[in-house]
Amino acid sequence: MEEKIRAENLTFYYGDNAAIKNINLAIKPNTVMALIGPSGCGKSTFLRCINRMNDIIPNTRVEGDIYIDSDSIFHYKYDVTGLRRRVGMVFQKSNPFPKSIFENIAYGLRINGITNKYDIESIVEQSLKRTALWGEVKDRLGKSALGLSGGQQQRLCIARTIAVQPEIILMDEPASALDPISTQKIEELIQDLKVNYTIIIVTHNMQQAARVSDYTAFFYIGELIEVNRTEVIFTKPENEMTENYITGKFG
Amino acid sequence: MITHLEQELEAVKSKVFEMSDLAIEAISKAVESMKKGDTKLAEKVIQGDTELDRLEITIDEECIRILVTKQPAAKDLRLVTAFLKINTDLERIGDLATNIAKETIRLNGKPPVKPLIDIPRMAALCIEMIKESFLAFSERDVTRARNVIGRDKEIDELNLQIYRELFSYMAENPHNMSQSLGLIMVSKALERIGDHTTNIAERAIYYIEGIDVRHEDA
Repeated sequence: MEEKIRAENLTFYYGDNAAIKNINLAIKPNTVMALIGPSGCGKSTFLRCINRMNDIIPNTRVEGDIYIDSDSIFHYKYDVTGLRRRVGMVFQKSNPFPKSIFENIAYGLRINGITNKYDIESIVEQSLKRTALWGEVKDRLGKSALGLSGGQQQRLCIARTIAVQPEIILMDEPASALDPISTQKIEELIQDLKVNYTIIIVTHNMQQAARVSDYTAFFYIGELIEVNRTEVIFTKPENEMTENYITGKFG
Repeated sequence: MITHLEQELEAVKSKVFEMSDLAIEAISKAVESMKKGDTKLAEKVIQGDTELDRLEITIDEECIRILVTKQPAAKDLRLVTAFLKINTDLERIGDLATNIAKETIRLNGKPPVKPLIDIPRMAALCIEMIKESFLAFSERDVTRARNVIGRDKEIDELNLQIYRELFSYMAENPHNMSQSLGLIMVSKALERIGDHTTNIAERAIYYIEGIDVRHEDA
């Protein structure tokens, strides 16, 4: 399939104020798309539209549409709970449940109807291995997740996200609160994960966008200014505004 | 654990090594064509150069992409800059081998003014030096790289010896002029190949130790 996600003329309003305006953006499966732009440019708003996280904010409305696998996610019959299962999300601040490491992952599985103990154990192990956390936590799975370091907590949140086998993972500044080593581990992980998932990452760190993504979209004051392959955006952007932003002339 | 950066560097490295094999083959065949007056072989060398040109561009693009998307540091950064420079040296070596092959075609049918002995010797030395500098590179062996740099003098001396010899041929008989000048050009091309090989060895040292040994005796 050519596109996993397609936003069509997407405009999102907080009250009367359009935070993103008429966005048209297609995202291919098994790629990493980075959304960059100065604060308030609408990149996080766009990200949160993809799993309809913005629904819970009062006095907001959407125009245009987003299609996942050609289905309109804003269609009135669309199953929003199912959407959020298909579209996982990782936040800036790691937010493990105040439970054991094991339970952080097992919880979501049980909610999704997986009850067999051995299945759960197997998925927990696989998820922790995929996030390169297994070696670090395998001897203390019963201990509280809150005792892990910030970087480990964030990788646990990613493990928790992939355990329920989403198709798309949204990441909102997933490494901005982490030290360089933990950041590097998350970045390596993102590139490992794209084999199985389509990933969209919002980042303030342009170098990070360059490192982890296949495609980069530059947002400015609610508009999508330019989208292209990452190496093109960072070597010869077409738009002068993009050039000025990535060379640090404004933003 | 092998990082994505390491995987990508390894992929570029194999292209650079592929390029060195092609450059060696070009030198060997060009000199062979000259020795035997084999214009068909010379044509092959000329055609083969487009592959070196293509690889040069691919390696440049890959290196720039790695610089911008992986932001390598320390030895990884030195490796990418080494690739970028070695790439240019190898492409130039390919061009110089092509020049030798063109000379074979130009001299087509004319008997050699003298049996070719020193020119194949120079070519063999160049090839050995290229192999050694790449071995130094992959084994991170500075001593080996320094030996390559030292051996460039042997090539320079052979070049001067060939010059002197051909000058005397030309002085003896002006009819030898055209062929002798052709051989001087070939000798000069091999001497330049030696210089590019020295550059490669210098880049290997820069990659391994971070030390710039260019112009050390200047």
